[in-house]
Amino acid sequence: MESATIPAPAPRRPRAHRWLRPLAFLGTPTALLLVLFLGPMLVMLGVAFDRGLLDGGQGAFNLTLTNFSDVITDPLYREVAVTTFEIATAAMLAQLLVAVPLAYVIAFKAGRWQLPILLFLVLADELNPMVRIYAWRMLLGREGLINEGLMRIGITDQPIDALLFSQFAVTLVLATSYITYTVIPIYGAMKAIDANVFEAARDLGAGWWTTTRRVLLPLIAPGIFVSLLLVYIPLFTDFASPALVGGTSGYMLGNVVNDLVLESGDLNRGAAMSIIMLVLSALFALVAYRLARINRLES
Amino acid sequence: MAAIAEPMIRLERISKRFGEAPAVDDVSIGIARGEFFSMLGPSGCGKTTTLRMIAGFEEPTTGRVLLDGEDVTLVSARHRNVNMVFQDYALFPHMSVAENVGFGLKLKRVPRNEARSRIEEMLAVVRLEGLGERRPAELSGGQRQRVALARALVNRPAALLLDEPLGALDLKLRREMQLELKRIQKTTETTFVYVTHDQEEALTMSDRIAVMDGGRVQQLADPKTLYERPDTSFVADFIGTSNALALSVDRREGELAIMEPGPGVRVAVAAPAAVGETLQISIRPEKISIVAGGDGDGGDCRVDGVAVERVYLGSVSQTVVELPGGERLAVHELNDDDVSSIEPGDAVTLSWPARHSLVVGEEGGR
Repeated sequence: MESATIPAPAPRRPRAHRWLRPLAFLGTPTALLLVLFLGPMLVMLGVAFDRGLLDGGQGAFNLTLTNFSDVITDPLYREVAVTTFEIATAAMLAQLLVAVPLAYVIAFKAGRWQLPILLFLVLADELNPMVRIYAWRMLLGREGLINEGLMRIGITDQPIDALLFSQFAVTLVLATSYITYTVIPIYGAMKAIDANVFEAARDLGAGWWTTTRRVLLPLIAPGIFVSLLLVYIPLFTDFASPALVGGTSGYMLGNVVNDLVLESGDLNRGAAMSIIMLVLSALFALVAYRLARINRLES
Repeated sequence: MAAIAEPMIRLERISKRFGEAPAVDDVSIGIARGEFFSMLGPSGCGKTTTLRMIAGFEEPTTGRVLLDGEDVTLVSARHRNVNMVFQDYALFPHMSVAENVGFGLKLKRVPRNEARSRIEEMLAVVRLEGLGERRPAELSGGQRQRVALARALVNRPAALLLDEPLGALDLKLRREMQLELKRIQKTTETTFVYVTHDQEEALTMSDRIAVMDGGRVQQLADPKTLYERPDTSFVADFIGTSNALALSVDRREGELAIMEPGPGVRVAVAAPAAVGETLQISIRPEKISIVAGGDGDGGDCRVDGVAVERVYLGSVSQTVVELPGGERLAVHELNDDDVSSIEPGDAVTLSWPARHSLVVGEEGGR
């Protein structure tokens, strides 16, 4: 009778192990993240909210918002913010205009060239950003290939200065730098589509524009949102491209942070500016994420 | 003038080549108004390409497509008054059932109220009342099939083109949908052009069937004629069980050509074949009667052989019999109270009337 009431407790132990194992695997990277990511973030928060923290401890723990108000009320920064928004949005739109047709061709028309084109896109992204940017400078400069070519065929007899060190140059360089990350999520969304729906739309009387608007775009919307998350946010914060091809008119918020921290040594305002950009990015990411989820639920 | 009704769809000597290989080779077909017409054949026989040329998705290399008397060879699919039901339905996954069905009406700018009532009406015809707000993902395979039908039929096309529409359904549902399709076709009085590789499907529903192979129409006839009087060994093979013998004519007895290739084998066929000619003969398995060895009554055709295989198929039992020359014939017996108890290894005698010997080819056409 007793032996019947004592069940083997053995099955319990592996369950406990199973619960612990992922934690063990996650432990090391989590710890690293805490130290290397959260640590500096906390320091940055401290620096941004507490002017005294860097002055050898005098007047420390005097929480203040002056760093933020300084940055927000400065008309120069406001102007830069507008420029940044313009450049990032123009670059994003340009990429979408190229990426949607390109992804369509790769997904539905390329046949056996599908993989080579994808590989080429990935390779284009592997290129060192510095090399890529300098290549653009060679193309766009006063004595660059494009100006030389235009002068030789007589379209212009003066080199066009606006090609380099302008908003246009930054937009162009940024758009080409991120195109891989715009195309691939959209391509992924397209691969999930049964290509027959395009024929079905045509059969029911839809032309290419109606098919694009009412069938293709709604079906790839989740991919477009992922592209926005992956690309639009980094576009706002990029500072290498504007620094090298932007001149004074292509000056962006990333350059502001860079200059505040590395040039003027104003860590407080640099940190405040970073946090503002971080919060805005997070808000944008949240909106894009919600939109992508809503769309998935409906399809 | 002869008052021959203009067919709804007329294909005039259409061919389609992809590169060098002809996918469709000189096909001429007339499909009558309100007809249930099927194109039947193995994969790669050109049936789907033919259908796509009617739909306007492919342009014929040569030949003309006429729709209701009008040459539409160069009219794009968008502007042709035919609609298609795709193999995997190709429903728009981001739209509700009603939006799917209303897609074509919206593009044709049918007024909202009229569109709504036509959608309702069509959903009732395909028995999907009340499911208009659902998404395709929330429907079963059979229901999606009905949505695809409604989406095409709501536009009141001159003809509905169906590309293996039941291929993705299980057998029971497929049988149900066959009857359902026939009912919908009658209700809507629409010309149906149906592509399938499933002979049973084609025989069940069609008014006429074009059996295709190698890009050509092998035979175009009603189901009964195709089954009872196949023109070629391909048709005999493809529709029903293959059961063919190649025999040379030994002598003639009035209307009948008699073939006696060896002892215990006598096959007669009503054909104007000369002595010495070789004929391809096909016999339907259910037309042959089978008895244990030696007991056979003297029919026109009488063959001794050995049973090598016996399979229970539900309503019938199939016995495969090997003839002295090594050929094999399948025989179907109805599983009623009189079914024989033949086992593999038994000597048997097969017999059938000469009218069931079908000539499906000459001079060793195989």
